[in-house]
Amino acid sequence: MGFLWFWDVPEFRRAMGLVLVFALSSFLLLPLLTLLLWAFADEWRYPSVVPQSISLKWWDWVLTNGDVGSAVRYSFITAPVVTLIAAIICLPAAYSFSRFRFPGRRTLFISLLAANAFPKIGLYVAIATLFFRLNLMGTYWGVVLIQLVGTLVAMVWIPAAGFDSVARELEDAARDAGAGPLRVFWSITLPLAMPAIIVAAFLAFIAAFDEAQGTLIVGSPTIVTMPTLMYTLVVNYPEPVGAIFSILLSAPSVILLLIARRFLLAGYLAAGFKGR
Amino acid sequence: MASVSAPPLRGRSDRADRLREAAIGLAMVAPPIAVLLFLIVLPALQATIFSLGIVPSDNLVFSTGQHLIKSDSPTLAVYSDLLASPFIRDDLWLTIWISLVSVVLVAIVAYVLALYVRFGSGSLPRIVRSLYLVPMFVPVVIASYAAITFYVDRGVLAAILHAVGLPFASPAYKPSGVVITQVWFNIPFAVLMLGSGLDGIEQELIESAHDVGAGFLTVLWRIVLPMNMVPLLIVLTFTFIGVVGSFTIPFLIGPNAPQMMGVAIQAYFSNYNQPQPAVAMAVLLFAICAAAGAVYVWATSRSNKHAVTV
Repeated sequence: MGFLWFWDVPEFRRAMGLVLVFALSSFLLLPLLTLLLWAFADEWRYPSVVPQSISLKWWDWVLTNGDVGSAVRYSFITAPVVTLIAAIICLPAAYSFSRFRFPGRRTLFISLLAANAFPKIGLYVAIATLFFRLNLMGTYWGVVLIQLVGTLVAMVWIPAAGFDSVARELEDAARDAGAGPLRVFWSITLPLAMPAIIVAAFLAFIAAFDEAQGTLIVGSPTIVTMPTLMYTLVVNYPEPVGAIFSILLSAPSVILLLIARRFLLAGYLAAGFKGR
Repeated sequence: MASVSAPPLRGRSDRADRLREAAIGLAMVAPPIAVLLFLIVLPALQATIFSLGIVPSDNLVFSTGQHLIKSDSPTLAVYSDLLASPFIRDDLWLTIWISLVSVVLVAIVAYVLALYVRFGSGSLPRIVRSLYLVPMFVPVVIASYAAITFYVDRGVLAAILHAVGLPFASPAYKPSGVVITQVWFNIPFAVLMLGSGLDGIEQELIESAHDVGAGFLTVLWRIVLPMNMVPLLIVLTFTFIGVVGSFTIPFLIGPNAPQMMGVAIQAYFSNYNQPQPAVAMAVLLFAICAAAGAVYVWATSRSNKHAVTV
């Protein structure tokens, strides 16, 4: 190994591990910590490393602001509905991709990637025209449809891999014991594929909840969700307002993280992206 | 793990059965494909036709735009005008350049983290295992905003470096600011993807290589990298597609001139009322993304046909 002998010295690798963890946590967490501090700052000027004075006055402003309240409401009546619709239309498709043979199976599966590959802003021009004709501009269902686009890939690919991983022997055994096809699906296939479906639903919710560009074009001025309001807040208000709003906007994702972390690490996400 | 084609259902697989299976299968995949057709394929086709100079008279957004090129037969005039503009050319090169640099950095950082989580021992890898997921739960608007407040000139990082007496050049509103934020944002997906590939490499294989005297780097270069090639290609293509078409990160933390194409498209459409050049730029980006998508399709189909594991 010559001059790289130190790679195999345990002490060196332990020290490298410490350096890595320190660098990674600084890189990932310091920007977020900055926002967290800004949310409670009253005055924070360079070159002070921490705020000179703290205050909760901006929290009052944000929490009692009508625009913020309405944005929170719109976010929470769109994203969960989008996730539910995505599940209803995509899960049967995922099962079909996993179990049935039909013409164009592989092509259709991969074509879902187009939903991620065409720059969204280029589509919105054409979608807006379509929505104008269908009277969907500025409506609740227009926003739901536009947010649905970003959930398709995750909601089909990841559950399809989940269905793939259910052992056929188990289903066969249940069938041999006299269970009908629906019974087999409900009591064997679905529960075993559930972790992958949870990961997919979770990613779909985040995608819908975070969608800003399409919602801005289709929804405004009637329907303003939290991420679209964020653009306005960042530009027009002092730092604490954006920081406080960021905390509110991240809260749902963080709560979901704590619930779904176990499943995320189990490889269901990666399995979904490995094609077929 | 994923099979090439679905194994035959039980029972006799005669013609009628297969037709029935195909019909049910197609019916079940129809809804998401319909959404795709209605909201992506159709608008994308309209946009492409419009960018070729054919202006639909019933589309007011399209037909009242400034700088309109109208033609009865398809023409590439919009594209040649675009590419003749030095500003657009700069935007395009900046976009490709930022995307490539981001992709390479994401791959390197994610690979180091995935290797560490997979092969490291002790409690530190467990910390990394929780840490690298953090950006996945931060909406991209907030990630960009956090990056600005942290990296801006006379911001927090400047203050920290000032306190320890180090010089600081802010990356905010520069290409490097976009790259830093893109790396930050793309780490979780990349590490999850690479990590699941590494999980498939058996510990015994590594140990037996060690036993015959292979060092860390030899094992990495000769065993781990070749066995983990497909997840790496997936990470490269998906990160590339994500960065090329990105809007929020370059909009909030990127440079103004030249700017990334995602921001330029938005400006041409909303601020300059020039939908035709905007749409043509989107088609250009799509062509670039499609090329990257082809790499993904090639890599996954090849591995799913030949490999036993993946």
